[in-house]
Amino acid sequence: MATARILQTGPGTSIQDLGRMVGSKYGIPTSGVMDPKSYHWVNHVLQNDPNDAVLEVSQPGLKIHFDAPTLLSLAGAKAKVMVNQREISNPSMIAIQPGDILEIGQIFIGRYVYLGIKSGFQTKITLGSRSYFSPVTGESMVKKHEDLPFQSLRSSSSSLSRSKPKWKTEWFEKQELEAYPGPDWNLLDRNTQFRITNGIFHLSKLSNRMGIQLEELIDNRLPELPTNPVFPGTVQLTPGGKLLILMRDAGVTGGYPRILQLDEDSISHLAQKNCGEPIRFRMKDF
Amino acid sequence: MDLRPHYMEITPLMGELVWNEAPNDELLSWQIGYMDFLKKNWSEKIKEFRQGFTRISVVWKKELFQIEFKNSLSETQLKPLPLPEDVWEIPVCYHEEFAPDLILLAEQKKLTPSQFIELHSCVLYRIHFFGFLPGFFYLNGLPEILHTPRKSVPILSVPRGSVAIGGGQTGIYPGESPGGWHIIGRTPISLFDPVTDPPVWAQPGDRIKFRAIRLEEFKNWPDIKPISSRK
Repeated sequence: MATARILQTGPGTSIQDLGRMVGSKYGIPTSGVMDPKSYHWVNHVLQNDPNDAVLEVSQPGLKIHFDAPTLLSLAGAKAKVMVNQREISNPSMIAIQPGDILEIGQIFIGRYVYLGIKSGFQTKITLGSRSYFSPVTGESMVKKHEDLPFQSLRSSSSSLSRSKPKWKTEWFEKQELEAYPGPDWNLLDRNTQFRITNGIFHLSKLSNRMGIQLEELIDNRLPELPTNPVFPGTVQLTPGGKLLILMRDAGVTGGYPRILQLDEDSISHLAQKNCGEPIRFRMKDF
Repeated sequence: MDLRPHYMEITPLMGELVWNEAPNDELLSWQIGYMDFLKKNWSEKIKEFRQGFTRISVVWKKELFQIEFKNSLSETQLKPLPLPEDVWEIPVCYHEEFAPDLILLAEQKKLTPSQFIELHSCVLYRIHFFGFLPGFFYLNGLPEILHTPRKSVPILSVPRGSVAIGGGQTGIYPGESPGGWHIIGRTPISLFDPVTDPPVWAQPGDRIKFRAIRLEEFKNWPDIKPISSRK
């Protein structure tokens, strides 16, 4: 098996696929990519299986060495991408030769960059997924000098398609997220509901793969509720009056009121937002 | 008692079976009956379901399946399933080395530490479901006198195996984690192992009995899996 060696990385780089569906009855979070929309795009461009594993990168400073020919595709956040110190203007499809070094520098727009590889990274599968999650896989991030296996191609340049697709980021630059009323929405009074559906909220610094907390305070007079199931995209109202949007590594159950549920695309959309960015909720009915 | 739930749609692909009773054994046996029914009759149409104290949430593969399920529910004749008989004995060392909050908690409740330990370890607790962290089970049955509001500021690192009380619940941290519960002891056994199948040894409906052990016993505890008996 060929090897991609991590020469350098910022914190928060991990291997991800669509996550584990089998583990919630044991309390295991789904994990998986924060932004499935961008992830599906790179696997589609590479003509991969829809569940092939990619590198999810959330900080500049990744430097990775490939010892065999392959194809890469990058999408998600827009970042400076270099191969052998030469900047790549459209990184949607890159042919890699043995010895090539790819670098991800400054991230300009968005939060998570997806680095897909032909046939996916071949790291170990635990409980049905390659997604890093420390209680299950031992590590939550890739480390410097870590070797990631992949299947090499005989020749990378002949596999390049003639027309390069172009990745667009406009869809995650808008403010509006689409949400359904959650199971506990009707416990809120009219004023609070109005505030949530009409207000502008900002992402706080408390934000990671488990969840994203919003800055603004909401009056919370709800009683304590029994612990019940939650999912990625569930918006909880904390006892302190903050909105907490659960993301991929969140626990499978929670005790705070579940007031909204984001639709699937809006979870991808939110994942690409950075601290301080504004969002609004647009309520959906069906 | 007839504890048939109603079904609430949340999104076109997600909804939940809703009970409004406080968590209890009978409700749990109805939930286990419904989960068994979902597994046997609907598994090909379901992406995933999750259990909580008073809900079972279902994620459907197609919008149509949710509508089909909702429409058929009122005609579905279901019975609660009997709860399992297994009782797992979990050794807990309540020594102050592992129980930073026990003495203060006992004082607040005007109990001696040994009375506190006796109250915590004399009852049988029922496992309702797993959540919060991999291998963490939610238990029902904490004596009311031991109920204690969670800490206002969670601590950054609760050691693996810590036995703790938060609100009306007691539980064991299966791995190191931040946490807001009061730590009253530690178990030497393992609650979660991702390389075994299944990765946990108990299941919803089983019962848990804590048994106080001494510090030397903790340090030389031979097994990582607890002993089960049937009662």
